[in-house]
Amino acid sequence: MTTLQLVEVTAGFGAVTVLHGIDLDVKDGEIAGVFGLNGAGKSVTMKTIAGIVPARSGQIWFDGVDITRLDAESRVEMGMGHVPQGRQVFANLTVEENLRLGAYTLRRRDKSRYPAVLDSVYDRFPVLRERRTQKAGTMSGGQQASLAVARALVNEPRLILVDEPSAGLSPKMQGDLREVLQVVKDSGVTMVLVEQNVAFGLSLVDTANLLQTGVVVHTAPVAELDEDTLATHLGIGRVLAGATGSALTARKKR
Amino acid sequence: MLQVLAIGLISAGIYALFAVGIVLVYRGTKVLTFAGGEVGTAALYVAAFLVTDHGMPWVVGALAAVLIAAAAGLAFEAGLVRWSREADPVVTSILTVALSATIFATEFNLHGNNPTTLETPVRIGSGLDVDGVIVSPIQIAAIVVAALLGFGLQSFLRRTDFGLAILAAADDAPATLLVGVRVSRIRLVLWASSFGLAAVAALLVEPTVGFITPGYASTLYLGGLAAAVIGGLDSLPGAVVGATVLGLAQAFADKYFKGLGLSGLSYVVTLTLLLVVLLVRSYAPEIRKRLAAPVEVTA
Repeated sequence: MTTLQLVEVTAGFGAVTVLHGIDLDVKDGEIAGVFGLNGAGKSVTMKTIAGIVPARSGQIWFDGVDITRLDAESRVEMGMGHVPQGRQVFANLTVEENLRLGAYTLRRRDKSRYPAVLDSVYDRFPVLRERRTQKAGTMSGGQQASLAVARALVNEPRLILVDEPSAGLSPKMQGDLREVLQVVKDSGVTMVLVEQNVAFGLSLVDTANLLQTGVVVHTAPVAELDEDTLATHLGIGRVLAGATGSALTARKKR
Repeated sequence: MLQVLAIGLISAGIYALFAVGIVLVYRGTKVLTFAGGEVGTAALYVAAFLVTDHGMPWVVGALAAVLIAAAAGLAFEAGLVRWSREADPVVTSILTVALSATIFATEFNLHGNNPTTLETPVRIGSGLDVDGVIVSPIQIAAIVVAALLGFGLQSFLRRTDFGLAILAAADDAPATLLVGVRVSRIRLVLWASSFGLAAVAALLVEPTVGFITPGYASTLYLGGLAAAVIGGLDSLPGAVVGATVLGLAQAFADKYFKGLGLSGLSYVVTLTLLLVVLLVRSYAPEIRKRLAAPVEVTA
């Protein structure tokens, strides 16, 4: 069954149209990757799905409901979660306050369920339990990334949009983050992952959607992707495609 | 000494009430609002219209004044602030100056410079005798309400989801939106609360002066602004502490420097305090760094 579907969505800012009729199909429980070069429209795609940038035409369906005209807050209430670009944890709030805010709509629906949900999130991210009274802004980049993911999970979303999670992280922190996202994947939550770092993204996603100047030019399960396709559609050259190809090989071996 | 303390605390209560409203908006929007004084004055005119001109009970007039001020806050946010959201908060601050000037001009056109009176249930001159200074119940109420608001609101911000959402929206509005918080609603509540608080402050202050003229509360509001800055601008208890420091400093200066015959002594005290606090705050990190640095010993 499809969790999220974009049908010929166009969007942009002012006189500039960035998305020129995007189609996207995200099945229940899968991680769909959206890859592309700078300016391809990856972040605008995420913002349009989130409801921050309005779609000019086309349709966005979430769990069988047309959400094209819904505002961002209503989409969160429906079960959409976010790990925004740059992680964007609330630096002046503690870990626990960040999580409480993450469960804003859950607590409004049913406050009594929150302690159990919080406990399960702490079980998945023990470091956050240890640091629950610490201000988020004083934690390391990797810990903030964990908090951003946990903050999205604590609202029990059916879909999480993860925007450029590896940006600005060291290779070691990227490894930690991969494990964090793997935990989310194993929990069965559907995810859309936008990544500039194709190798990082390919190590996680089930399906890759390759974006070029606001259009999805190629969609395929990761198992069916090869270096040539990446080099052709992402325009990253064979050397880089080779690097991402090793990520592909690693995935195919799993 | 007790006398000076009593006078200082009366002023502190007034400044704190205005300062709390200023900090509340600043914490939620990073906008420094200059309109509270005139909003408070306008609220008093509304109360006077209902109570003095139409014989309604003071409670009804006061309630109407607070509600109308809160409604003005809603209208100001929805009509002007919302449309300047993408701009620097300084732009919105300037909008509040424009609002203040507009309200002042309207008051002046309607009432001229003639003092208007508002019949209040409690008059100055009766109450607690503190070393010769009569502290009226309404002045005590101002101090108590200010302290309750300063410390109570701080607790509200940390302990409730809505309060946390206010803090988060000030930190990062787009990220707050993405956790499902209706940030626009928060901003409406903040502006309505701030303007409502300005009305409450003006109503509690009015009996001390006894009459209303255009711009009446704006002078006191400047004290509130200074108190908010002294308290750190983003701390509600800090606003109350700042107001107390300012109120007491003015009272002590008045007692001990009155003989010098300086006019506008309270302004001198306010500006000196502001200058000292801002200087200390800007140099504090450097001083701390130097104190923490190991001392080099040369042979």
